[in-house]
Amino acid sequence: MILEPQRRISSKGLTVWRISGAIHSFFALLVSGAAVALTIIFDWPSWIIGIAVLALVLYAYLFIILFPTLRWKRWRYEVRENEIELQHGVFVIKRTLVPMIRVQHVDMQQGPILRKYQLATITVSTAATVHEIPALEMDEAEELRFFISKLARVADEDV
Amino acid sequence: MSEPKRLHPIATVINCLKLLKELIIPFLVFVVFGSKNGLFQLIASLGVIVLVLIIGILTWLRFTYRLEDEELRIEYGVFVRKKRYIPFERIQSLDLSEGILQRPFGLVKVKIETAGSSGEAEAVLTAISKSQATIIQQALSSAKDETSIDEQEVVKENKEIILYQITPKELFLLASTSGGVGVVISAVIAFIFQFEEIIPYEKVFNGLEDFISSGVLVVSLLVFIGFLVAWAAALIGTMLKYAGFTVKKNKDDFIITRGLLEKRQLTIPSHRIQAIRLSENLIRQPLGLSTVYIESAGGSATDTDSSREMLLPIVKRNVITTILSPYLPEYNLETPILSAPTRSLKRYLFRGLVYMLPMIVVSVIFFRPWGYLSLLLVIPSLLLSYLKFKDAGWNVDSQQLTLRYRSIIKNTIFMKRNRIQSLVMRESYFQNKNELASIQATVMSGSGGTGGKVVDLEKNDVEGIYEWYSYSK
Repeated sequence: MILEPQRRISSKGLTVWRISGAIHSFFALLVSGAAVALTIIFDWPSWIIGIAVLALVLYAYLFIILFPTLRWKRWRYEVRENEIELQHGVFVIKRTLVPMIRVQHVDMQQGPILRKYQLATITVSTAATVHEIPALEMDEAEELRFFISKLARVADEDV
Repeated sequence: MSEPKRLHPIATVINCLKLLKELIIPFLVFVVFGSKNGLFQLIASLGVIVLVLIIGILTWLRFTYRLEDEELRIEYGVFVRKKRYIPFERIQSLDLSEGILQRPFGLVKVKIETAGSSGEAEAVLTAISKSQATIIQQALSSAKDETSIDEQEVVKENKEIILYQITPKELFLLASTSGGVGVVISAVIAFIFQFEEIIPYEKVFNGLEDFISSGVLVVSLLVFIGFLVAWAAALIGTMLKYAGFTVKKNKDDFIITRGLLEKRQLTIPSHRIQAIRLSENLIRQPLGLSTVYIESAGGSATDTDSSREMLLPIVKRNVITTILSPYLPEYNLETPILSAPTRSLKRYLFRGLVYMLPMIVVSVIFFRPWGYLSLLLVIPSLLLSYLKFKDAGWNVDSQQLTLRYRSIIKNTIFMKRNRIQSLVMRESYFQNKNELASIQATVMSGSGGTGGKVVDLEKNDVEGIYEWYSYSK
């Protein structure tokens, strides 16, 4: 077996995912809050309240604690001279190989939360597919983007 | 031919018709929901039509094309003038077609496609004479290999080899097996209702029964006739579309011509071929027939036909290699396929059941007595799952990856290592426990990607494929 990819993404990425999980959960809170309110107003059976609260707690646990942790633990990448290898996934572990000569362009993007934490996401596009390395330290992302685009240019061949 | 040329005036009519087609929905809305004042509506509609006519004529007037400095230069636009220069070497393929409006005047519609064009084709010359089209074609092919001079060009033209031509029998077979699923289903349904008459259900459920059985018979008959008509229409449509299907190979290009009412000609340069796909649908497979497609780069996304082009519409499985191997020497279309291990069968069956489960649960809960019939769905689901398992397979042979899988249609895709854009290996917790893994390879097709995905193969095999693909050894 060829070597597994070694590099991890920034540990601040975990915090970012937790925050966006919390934002998600806020919407879940609204929904279940509405359910509770309606139950009280219209005198629906009280088990609805129980279920709404339980669902909210479960949702928050999964999206704030469990999934980000698993996701962060699994995320590995490595950019070699002639290929990019990614490994990620929560339940299903995916390992992806992208040869450098297939890379068409590299993008760097940053949402508001990522920007606050000085992180950036790199997307690598081939003629047919798009691959993402999320939550990298800014300077690392910058370096990687430069590195990939330089190597990709060298290996220019027919599509 | 450097002076700017206009399209044939018939292009005006085509432009107008296209505009009108786009306007038809707002127009209908306007007529239906518009004011009660008939005169106003009439004037407004006339105004729209006149406007369309004017725009159509202006569009035609403004549209010019010329060949200059190894470029196809198009200038167009009514309000905003646009110039589009396409260098010859960027042009992927020329797609020639003759519609009903072009035919009487001996014209063709030329679609010019480049690699990056997403959405519509890069440029469309709606109506030009055949001789003009030939000039463009020749200019293109001479630009592609600069060494060849005109003389060689002529020689090359003569070297066109016909490698496949559809026979009437094949054409009929193609048409009748493509839309045939519906007929089989309706025949089965009618058959079941026949049995209902023989088996004395009526004695079991008295009362409503007379009403239901007579109603059911009429309905089933109507449904059957409906299917039959749809099938016949599909049959004729397909036959018209693929009549005279011919594949020619000149030096570097595959040239595909087909169609009776609307003739289409398509040129696919060999080096644009990304993968070869072999499809066998449920009816053709038992007859030993299959369809061969070319996945090619370039082509527009809206026209799905152009990125996956039929190379052999219907052909016996065992003669494919004989027909194609001289022209596609780098592909080995007869590699032995290695199957998935037996222990993955239970995962395939399980997956099939899981998909069916919600449907069955819902119908059992909500449609109590008859809902139990949905349990019968388990049988076809298991059968399909078994077929999926049986057909899953792979092979790696020097520079070629072959993946075989079934969605409903059985697909075998042959890909060259240097055409694969990316490779993904997947492994879930349960797969890991069983030493199984899935593999997915993507090649370019049109402006997107296509490829193959095979689930639950031997983990060692998948790792082998992964290693084979890796560029750092």
